[in-house]
Amino acid sequence: MTLDCHSDHCITCSDEGVPMKVLGVDEERVLALCEGEDGSRQSVEVALVDPVAVGDSLLVHAGVGLVRL
Amino acid sequence: MKFVDEFRDAELGRALAAEILAAVEPGHHYKFMEVCGGHTHSIYKYGVDDLLPENVELVHGPGCPVCVIPMGRVDDGIAIAHEPGVIFTCFGDMMRVPGSNGSLLEAKAAGADIRMVYSPLDALRIAKANPDREVVFFAIGFETTAPSTALTLKRARAEGVRNFSCMCNHVTIVPPLRALLDSPDLRLDGFIGPGHVSTVVGARPFEFIPADYGRPVVIAGFEPLDILHAIRMILAQLDEGRCEVQNQYKRVVPWQGNLRALEVMAEVFELRPHFEWRGLGFISQSGLKLSDAYAELDAELRFAVPGVRVADPKACQCGEVLKGVIKPWECKVFGTACTPERPIGTCMVSSEGACAAYYNFGRFAREKEAV
Repeated sequence: MTLDCHSDHCITCSDEGVPMKVLGVDEERVLALCEGEDGSRQSVEVALVDPVAVGDSLLVHAGVGLVRL
Repeated sequence: MKFVDEFRDAELGRALAAEILAAVEPGHHYKFMEVCGGHTHSIYKYGVDDLLPENVELVHGPGCPVCVIPMGRVDDGIAIAHEPGVIFTCFGDMMRVPGSNGSLLEAKAAGADIRMVYSPLDALRIAKANPDREVVFFAIGFETTAPSTALTLKRARAEGVRNFSCMCNHVTIVPPLRALLDSPDLRLDGFIGPGHVSTVVGARPFEFIPADYGRPVVIAGFEPLDILHAIRMILAQLDEGRCEVQNQYKRVVPWQGNLRALEVMAEVFELRPHFEWRGLGFISQSGLKLSDAYAELDAELRFAVPGVRVADPKACQCGEVLKGVIKPWECKVFGTACTPERPIGTCMVSSEGACAAYYNFGRFAREKEAV
């Protein structure tokens, strides 16, 4: 994750999520590899929004998908 | 970019601003609170307030979780961080919040092993990679962040990671709003509701505001047009004599929230009888702690913490800023003794804090259209 406290949405300071696209899904570990608008990639916990599929857009906050967009 | 460009369109913004100007009653001063620090950040970054008539005032609410952490909790965190063998993890902004004897960043400089993480899941990974160390996650945030901590604790227990624990400082959004509405200091005409907290809790928890206090609420997104649209919707409610919760941010916020997130939070957390908020004092049932089922992962039980209440610095007026009683620049130390580089108060720490947002984007007075 390349976000820092000087970017638009600082994940360290609260209640904003960032939209990310699902690139791959590890169903067994309930994780998805996701890519942000800035090209950054992150492993995201998808237990709260599964099942997810490649190509889905998620709102991600603190490493967790909160809602499917 | 989808969902972004169309919400930053200057022409549409000017059209909405004109509608707002036409909707306000001359001579009436409107005060709307944006609850979430994310909104505060966007308002000053994009100059949304410059598009509003002079008699529409935006009051910044308590929705920045960094800003509401009291000094005593920072001191407790630093005490744990100094325990032998501990790796202490927290979100980046938390490291700069001053305690009574320095910040976590200063404790790190003094030798404590304190590491910044972007997610509690990263802290759990550190624990698994360092089985001979105790790894503690300093959890902060409203209901947006609490599910992330809850899922991490569930994983830690399921995977038997015994060297991981959590110092829980999660808070809930409704009790401080009720406290603000009960405060005689403040007269508000409506609320711009928190967008991403609502993805978890949904819209229903805010229904007490129109029902008990007769004030409209519009849950809003974080782009400039979202905020202008929400203000337009609040004004429409006032104009038509309606008073209800509306969801402007339907593209993200489901009315019922995320039921799975609420379930996992209910399993892992329970309400504290009371929790101290910086500047607001103790608020009943406003903080979360680990439930009995997860007590073995509670850092406050695993380590000795001082638990001493520390008064805010006298010069700092974060409390008044958090309650919207004064504007950030009206604080005596704003921009002089207190800056983002050397904050005295928490509102100057986080980029979503009202003082930091003013400092970074709105230090200079701007003219507004008189109505």
